[in-house]
Amino acid sequence: MADPMLNKLKHHWNVSNRREFFTQAGSGLAGIALAAMLAEDGYAAGVDPLAPKKPHVAPRAKNVIWCFMEGGPSQVDLFDPKPLLDKMALQPVPPSFHPETLLTAQGAKPSDGLFPARRPFKQYGQSGLWVSDWLPYISQHVDDLAVIRSCQSDAVNHVGGVCQMNTGSILAGRPSLGAWLTYGLGTAQKNLPTFVVMQDDKEILGAVQNYGSGFLPATYQGTLFRQGDTPILNLKPPAGTTDEQQRSKIDLLQKLNEFFGRNKEDDTELDARTRSYELAYQMQSSAPEAVDLSKESDATKALYGMDEKETAVYGANCLMARRLVERGVRFVEVYSGSGSGWDAHQDVNNNHTKWCKASDKPVAGLLADLKARGMLEDTLVVWGGEFGRTPFAQITAGQTPEKYGRDHNPWGFTMWMAGGGVKGGQTIGTTDEIGLRAVDEPHHVWDIHASILYLLGLDHLKTTYMHNGRAERPTVTGGNLITKLWA
Amino acid sequence: MRQVSAALLGLALTAGIVYTAESDVFTPAQRSFWAFQTVKKSPVPVVKNQQWVKTPIDSFVLAKLEEAGIQPNAPADRLTLLRRATIDMTGLPPTQEEIQQFLSDKSPNAWEKVVDRLLASPAYGERWARHWLDVARYADSNGFKADETRPNIWRYRDYVIDAFNQDKPYDRFIREQIAGDELYPGDPDALVAMGFNRHWIDETNAAALFTRRQETLDDMTTATGEAFLGLTFGCARCHNHKFDPILQKDYYRLQSFFANTSFGDGPLPLKDPTQRQKYDAQKALWDEKTKDIRAEMNKILEPLRAAKLESGAHTFEEQVKEAIRMDPSKRDPWQAMLYHTAEPRVTFDEEPDARTLRSLKGDDGKRYSELKKQLAEFDSLRPAKLPEGQFMVDIGPKAPPTYVLRGGNFDLKGEEVQPGFLSILDPTDAKVAPLPNSTGRRTALAAWLTDPKNPLVARVMVNRIWHYHFGKGIVATPGDFGRMGSRPTHPELLDYLSANFVENGWSIKKLHRQILLSNTYQQSSDLQAKAAEADPDNKLLWRWSRRRMEAEAIRDSMLFTSGLLNPQMGGPGVFPPVPAGTLSDLSATAAAGGWKTEKDVAQTNRRSVYIFVRRNLRYPMLQEFDSANTFESCDFRKNTVTPSQSLDLLNNDLILQWAQSLAGRVLNDSGLTPDAQIERTFKLTYGRAPSAAEQKLAADFLTRQMPIMSQRLADAKTKPPLPANMPAGADPVRAAALVDLSQMLLDSNEFLYIN
Repeated sequence: MADPMLNKLKHHWNVSNRREFFTQAGSGLAGIALAAMLAEDGYAAGVDPLAPKKPHVAPRAKNVIWCFMEGGPSQVDLFDPKPLLDKMALQPVPPSFHPETLLTAQGAKPSDGLFPARRPFKQYGQSGLWVSDWLPYISQHVDDLAVIRSCQSDAVNHVGGVCQMNTGSILAGRPSLGAWLTYGLGTAQKNLPTFVVMQDDKEILGAVQNYGSGFLPATYQGTLFRQGDTPILNLKPPAGTTDEQQRSKIDLLQKLNEFFGRNKEDDTELDARTRSYELAYQMQSSAPEAVDLSKESDATKALYGMDEKETAVYGANCLMARRLVERGVRFVEVYSGSGSGWDAHQDVNNNHTKWCKASDKPVAGLLADLKARGMLEDTLVVWGGEFGRTPFAQITAGQTPEKYGRDHNPWGFTMWMAGGGVKGGQTIGTTDEIGLRAVDEPHHVWDIHASILYLLGLDHLKTTYMHNGRAERPTVTGGNLITKLWA
Repeated sequence: MRQVSAALLGLALTAGIVYTAESDVFTPAQRSFWAFQTVKKSPVPVVKNQQWVKTPIDSFVLAKLEEAGIQPNAPADRLTLLRRATIDMTGLPPTQEEIQQFLSDKSPNAWEKVVDRLLASPAYGERWARHWLDVARYADSNGFKADETRPNIWRYRDYVIDAFNQDKPYDRFIREQIAGDELYPGDPDALVAMGFNRHWIDETNAAALFTRRQETLDDMTTATGEAFLGLTFGCARCHNHKFDPILQKDYYRLQSFFANTSFGDGPLPLKDPTQRQKYDAQKALWDEKTKDIRAEMNKILEPLRAAKLESGAHTFEEQVKEAIRMDPSKRDPWQAMLYHTAEPRVTFDEEPDARTLRSLKGDDGKRYSELKKQLAEFDSLRPAKLPEGQFMVDIGPKAPPTYVLRGGNFDLKGEEVQPGFLSILDPTDAKVAPLPNSTGRRTALAAWLTDPKNPLVARVMVNRIWHYHFGKGIVATPGDFGRMGSRPTHPELLDYLSANFVENGWSIKKLHRQILLSNTYQQSSDLQAKAAEADPDNKLLWRWSRRRMEAEAIRDSMLFTSGLLNPQMGGPGVFPPVPAGTLSDLSATAAAGGWKTEKDVAQTNRRSVYIFVRRNLRYPMLQEFDSANTFESCDFRKNTVTPSQSLDLLNNDLILQWAQSLAGRVLNDSGLTPDAQIERTFKLTYGRAPSAAEQKLAADFLTRQMPIMSQRLADAKTKPPLPANMPAGADPVRAAALVDLSQMLLDSNEFLYIN
């Protein structure tokens, strides 16, 4: 028998690589980060890669539910009112806003004219936050929301945008935030995937690159649930199989894989596959109950809009998300308009009427339900898309203004967070007078990621993984904490 | 005019690039970018360890390894190697006989014999066609909500299988798929090949016909640019490419080749000229004899036709309505295209649907039935129906104009463009010679694509082949040779192989042979700590990169190992069973045929390449293991590890049935002792006998399962699955346990990975 210690070392042969790097790096931030990593990296210690790990700072939240509005919801029509748009309706973007520097995805021209909000805004709650009447349900919860009006992304198009909002990079191949969280914190339970993704329409643009593990070990990858009544296929063992029989089969399989895996310890995929059987086994008994929405009362279902045709699909997904975090799933991403639904290049009025209707009540229902169950303080709810939309119109020839659309706007857009230690009833950052660019306290995607990690107890600078000679981190080369979120 | 430095001009000229002042929108970096330079066959490098070199590939690989101070791995053992190559080339594991033969063949060309046998196997075409079908975004349905079946598109899949098996030269393969109708009139295969650009996703009931038409053109442009040129052409739909020298104009110049194409679904000509003549003569006879009857029938149907035209036209935009209603001879090419696209919704062929037909009342109805009976009396004269295909053709010799569309928006027409290529390579208009019934445009495109001087086409295909063999291309992004894609790890090797490919008459099989015979391919996957540290991603190829089998290979190998695989080739797609709960997702497509599981079990056990590809319901077992999404060209499969995969392997009834069959195979090998049964199960799955530890593990397992099985057998309601065709006298308790052992071997990593 080979020395098990030697095996461990070989398994993590890049440990020596890290040490080497550490020595070379000497002092400085990288050195500190690496030292921390070496100490806290359960992986290097040779334990289960999903074993719970100590957070870097006191966690304010345990779970995240990200309501991802895919395609880019319009900030100036929803959360960021700009009276100037009404005053200058259909007039070119004034030179003071430097429209000449803009490169729009579909060629919408700033000179085609500013386009007023499609819906009236009102102030709500104690805090008096502004929301348009497109979101009659979410607006009832403003006192729990921290609305960040100054978000920024590097992406002009959807594939890159969705990818960056999930992985920090517009190019495919980096680990997703959910994978980093799983890597950094391990799992709180062993019966369900730690990171779950749900779609309500078409395939997410870029698909698995948005919830993949990138260069992290494959075991940290997200699991996509199927749409419809059966989110996970093959959950039930073949008829008549006893638990003892199934357990024994898996034990055999693990042994067979162990034999095959000898001297292949560097191949994390083999290890991940072996582990995924263990998870699959646990899911057999836990998941059917976890995904069974029939256990919920009619009142709860109605709260999420499951009793109405337009809101039934997203409502069911949001309710599922609550059931999952209740059972310790750490990160649930719930796509609204998956496959670029919110992408209102033409007729923003029609498009946003549809998707606001489909998502508003479910999201509000989720907030209300979490609160009623005392889960909101532990659960961070994030709302937002990959970017926003231009305050100027995108015009299709021959159409009247009420049918105008809006192009992509990565220069200044709105996201919000609630629960999970977030101080509600506040707005953070501002865009310019037309809602085009973030001006005060601009926050890049990396800041959003760094802050989410922080709320969950992870320091993004210490959450590192050695890859090709670089200590890679979730925030690539940036990331500033949005301290107002919790301060 | 901007200045072009003399040095740069010199570089461009030596690179064989012709350009004019008009095209100096490109930066020097773009002009000198590697992918746009002519293929240059460099000499085979000299290496220190000549011993290791089996083919020139090895010299190129070893040169870089020596430079980095890394030793290549020793060759894999013979069984591993045979298993690797057999799965790689055929998508199936080797048989016991093939293993025995190779292990005992001591001749120096033993490996060569294996390679040639694999290249000659019909299973090769089934395996490698699947790769091309990914690139071609092949599917058997339209996509969008209705997702109707494309009843005859499967002929394209069979064409690709056949093309690989015959080693159709790649330049001919391109010509047939781009301009088969124009270049090889009367050749049914070439027409079927035109299915390549018939795979667009299509919303047949879309009201907005302009948009639908434009989306079809965009699909063809993007797919053609990516499949053959390895460039993300689609990025230039709305603007000049942000990173690569693809002008927005170039996108529309490429699109313009397809401006007059549309679906040409219908009968295929017969291959054999005498048969064809016979058919034509017979058809003419029937036509003549039934002329009057049909004329009268048509007269009765006339009001129905008019009504269908009006009700159909009503759903379209004004311009389309006008094109539908106008005198056909007066339609301009654009109106002809609108009409052609709208036609299936405003006309019917010989006869309307039964419901519409019932609306014929009174004398007309009676007379129509009489005529139909009379017509049927001539049925014996009527030639058998020709096979039908689905493909794309030009609808006439004159194309509607193509415009640069601002923001890719159909309503924002910019400058008109003519067919042309990438401006950085050739800014002039393509030289097009019109044909009597076709624009001749695609003939010009095919000629450019297959010109040996084209810097991209051979490189892109050679790289794809390399990618499928090694799991990673010399360019790691096979569908993106641009700036955002990867740079070649071995540029000289890529060029050497590309030049060679063309010299060898674009033979794909010769390229496979060169690769398989190399030492590079035959290396073991073992870890070398030092090499792994210097080159963790194995970019320099110091070892074989182990990888999981693709979805189709997993399913096919399991069926094959359990003795169930039905080797029948070709024909319409089949519908194997899907797990419980799958079909609720199908409600939207139920009207379009949904998923009708085959009644004939043998049909459910066909190779995966024959499984019906419904865009809105990818076959779940294949989807779990990352099959292509079919909505756009797929240049490489994602590789995931998920609990859903494990659940599938553990709990899917089908896999259990395969395990039953495998256990039955073992039990039916006469005279096997219990120990020998274990050994046999390992041999069938892993191709080798178990080690002592494995033998013990399996024996202990069977012992552990037996009381469980005993208990289950005692109750009629929990009876465990038993091996198929269980021989008389076999102990059911042990036999049931053997099913579990068989299944776990099929599910294990040694079975699932190409090592």
